[in-house]
Amino acid sequence: MARYLLTRAWQSALTLLLSTIVVFVGVRALPGDPALALAGEDRSPEALDAIRRHYGLDQPLPVQFAQYVERVAQGDFGVSIRTGTPVSSMLTTALPVTVELSVLAIVIASVLGIGAGVLAAVRRGRPAEWFANALALIGLSVPHFWLGLLAILYLSVATGLFPASGFVPLLEDPVDNLHHIVLPAVILGTGLAAIIMRQTRSAMLDSLSSDYVRTAKAKGLRPRAVVTRHALRNSLIVVVTVVGLQLGGLISGAVVTEQIFGLPGFGKMTIDAVFQRDYPVIQAVVLLTAAAYIVINFFVDLLYSVIDPRIRVTGDPA
Amino acid sequence: MTNLSVSETSRALRAAVAAVAVACAVVACSPVSDSGGGTQSGDNQSAGQDSFGAPADPAAVKQGGKLVIALSAEPDALDPTLSRSLYSRYVFQAMCQKLYDIDERAQVVPQLATALPTTSGDGRTVTIPLRQGVRFADGTPFDSAAVKATLQRHLTNARSARKSELGPIDGVDTPDAQTVVLRLKQPFAPLLGALADRAGMIMSSRALQSLGDDFASAPVCVGPFKFAKRVPQNSIDVVRDPNYYEADKVHLDAISWRILSDASIRAANLRSGDAQVADTVSTQDVASLRQDSSVSVLQSQSLGYQGLTINVGNVDGVRTPPKPINRPLAQDAKVRQAFEHAIDRKALVDAVFNGVHTVACSPISPASPFSSAEAQTCPAHDPGKAKQLLAEAGVQTPYTVTMLASNTPDSLRLAQALQAMVKDGGFDLKINPVEYSSLLDEQDRGNFELLQLGWSGRIDPDANITNFVGTGASQNVAGYSNPQLDTLLAQARQAGDVEERKKLYGQAVTLLQQDDALIYLYRQRNLTAVAKQIQGLQVFPDGVIRAAFAGYTR
Repeated sequence: MARYLLTRAWQSALTLLLSTIVVFVGVRALPGDPALALAGEDRSPEALDAIRRHYGLDQPLPVQFAQYVERVAQGDFGVSIRTGTPVSSMLTTALPVTVELSVLAIVIASVLGIGAGVLAAVRRGRPAEWFANALALIGLSVPHFWLGLLAILYLSVATGLFPASGFVPLLEDPVDNLHHIVLPAVILGTGLAAIIMRQTRSAMLDSLSSDYVRTAKAKGLRPRAVVTRHALRNSLIVVVTVVGLQLGGLISGAVVTEQIFGLPGFGKMTIDAVFQRDYPVIQAVVLLTAAAYIVINFFVDLLYSVIDPRIRVTGDPA
Repeated sequence: MTNLSVSETSRALRAAVAAVAVACAVVACSPVSDSGGGTQSGDNQSAGQDSFGAPADPAAVKQGGKLVIALSAEPDALDPTLSRSLYSRYVFQAMCQKLYDIDERAQVVPQLATALPTTSGDGRTVTIPLRQGVRFADGTPFDSAAVKATLQRHLTNARSARKSELGPIDGVDTPDAQTVVLRLKQPFAPLLGALADRAGMIMSSRALQSLGDDFASAPVCVGPFKFAKRVPQNSIDVVRDPNYYEADKVHLDAISWRILSDASIRAANLRSGDAQVADTVSTQDVASLRQDSSVSVLQSQSLGYQGLTINVGNVDGVRTPPKPINRPLAQDAKVRQAFEHAIDRKALVDAVFNGVHTVACSPISPASPFSSAEAQTCPAHDPGKAKQLLAEAGVQTPYTVTMLASNTPDSLRLAQALQAMVKDGGFDLKINPVEYSSLLDEQDRGNFELLQLGWSGRIDPDANITNFVGTGASQNVAGYSNPQLDTLLAQARQAGDVEERKKLYGQAVTLLQQDDALIYLYRQRNLTAVAKQIQGLQVFPDGVIRAAFAGYTR
């Protein structure tokens, strides 16, 4: 196990370094100039030079990179070119929003998706399955922004049940916070719920027709125990993989959802930064996203062995 | 920043929103009429009229309440010296008063000054009398020393965006606490316009000393409201300032600007009551908002313009000496005039913007005190003439021209309408959509034949003309040079008299239309939607939302 962790750790560090280089070079290869984007309508040469000097953009690329890595190693992500605020403080306000949104979306998606998936498998060929399938189809095929706009139109504008935009930090007012974030989380979770439902359903169908389930039934176990303790547990391995893989999709979905609901999260920050060529912010965001991916994948691998003890983690490549 | 840059949302999202709008029209989410809502009474004006909003009646508004304004783009640094974005001015309007302001006719009026400045006979000494008994939000007194410190920061800070606006200021004197004297190297008429914008916002010296370059983190000025909190990319909050010299005129407790970059989402927030004001309403949404009995739409014609820039000499990048380009469009003014004659501006504005925006043929807005008959003359739409000019220039038709345009929906619809239009004049227009930041880059490098962009406009005409068409000027991306025009513009800059400047700018417009390196197309109307429960919110031709003295109806 220790050897496995060590291998994973240096692999992760390498991946991080590589992604840093790719992003650093990539954002600078984009057409467009942050000084121009910032200068707005006043694009006098002195103004542009002053901006470039101030943010060190006049230095050669390798020098800029070395300075960047040195600062990041000390936990300093630099200062946003657009707003002049430290990137780390922008991250500390944006990150909790997106984390809360994503976690809530995953919880909602898992509850809905696993529940509907099990129901569809157990009640195969009956109206309950058709209903669950129809919902899944809608969840998969209707894009977030469309659902989001409909939700705003009907649940905010027409009925006033939920606020159409805005955010209240969790620690400031938990109830108001939930009131603001539930709608975006449901919208964000719909696609994932549909995927989870489909996967749970097919994995459950597989398990339900397997020998061990027949054995369990033959032993006289109650149907509920057969489904939850035997069939579902074995099906979850697929579901966990899917949730892990879909997390990336969730983050890109959060970009759209945050934009629509005006949530001050990571996604909105990324979009704005890319359009403004705000290099320090883009770099920090991508670095953190890469780090998040690495950590999530690591935990998904660990979870396998928890769910199915036959899977053992070792340091040797399989 | 032009209004076209406002849409910083992804293209996909925008397209989707448009799709939803279409679907909504089909499912009848709200009645859509193309009549422009002209039958509505009161402040719901028809498409063609300006409506700036009226001051609040103190007897009819109640004290207190928080106003939420949905903004289309994020303001940049809240530092009057560094700010470059149009949107910062919305926030500054509530918390950073200026030496001068403008009224609804775009005339300069005193704000922190007590009267218009007196200028010496040689035009080189400008004396400004200041208000007495005024305090900054931190309690320190507002006096001539504070004005001097602010102006010196504007002039000396390395990243100052104000330096060029203030022109040839040689020194600032403070004969007493209530008088400031500006010494100029030469007369500079646009100075007054600058002092009615960010250059005239005075900052607290104490805050400048303690915060330095970080002034934007906790800005302190004189204003009805003071800075409270900013969440980057999300919101800016200000609260009422008890130190304000006319605190009894302030009704609201707080104002919050919330950044919602999508026009449909801003409109939805207004309808749901989460916001009371929405800026930059889409021309597509205006009709349906006018039908809404709880909302009124303010509209004011902007001082800026949207137009087409033709690359006539920008080979090595902006601000380098113009070089000849081997293209008929660049070489021959007749080809450019032909292009202008092929455009039907009125049809363009009606088709693309529901007739909300107005036709423009020059950089001078008819709303400007410097407008004249010459400044408003307009080459007629005449495809026959266009073809004739092309024949005279010896160009084979259809003549293919490639246009760079921003990839926002509004901009693309405009480009497509142009494409269809100029065909009759013998042009084959190819559209090359580019993302906004890239567009600016290509523009400055001179990598274009024709491109579509605009300018948000300033009070003084010099700021709307010289920078764009003066030889070697900072934003002369066309690479255009006409010494005769340069002379006219220099004279206008130094002329003290409005009538004289008017005449000179009229002559300049005639030259601009002959050379046609910049073809002016239309002038935007600043569209602001306001909930009817709010009184006293105003938008003047500078496009800035004036919310400081608004209040909720009793």
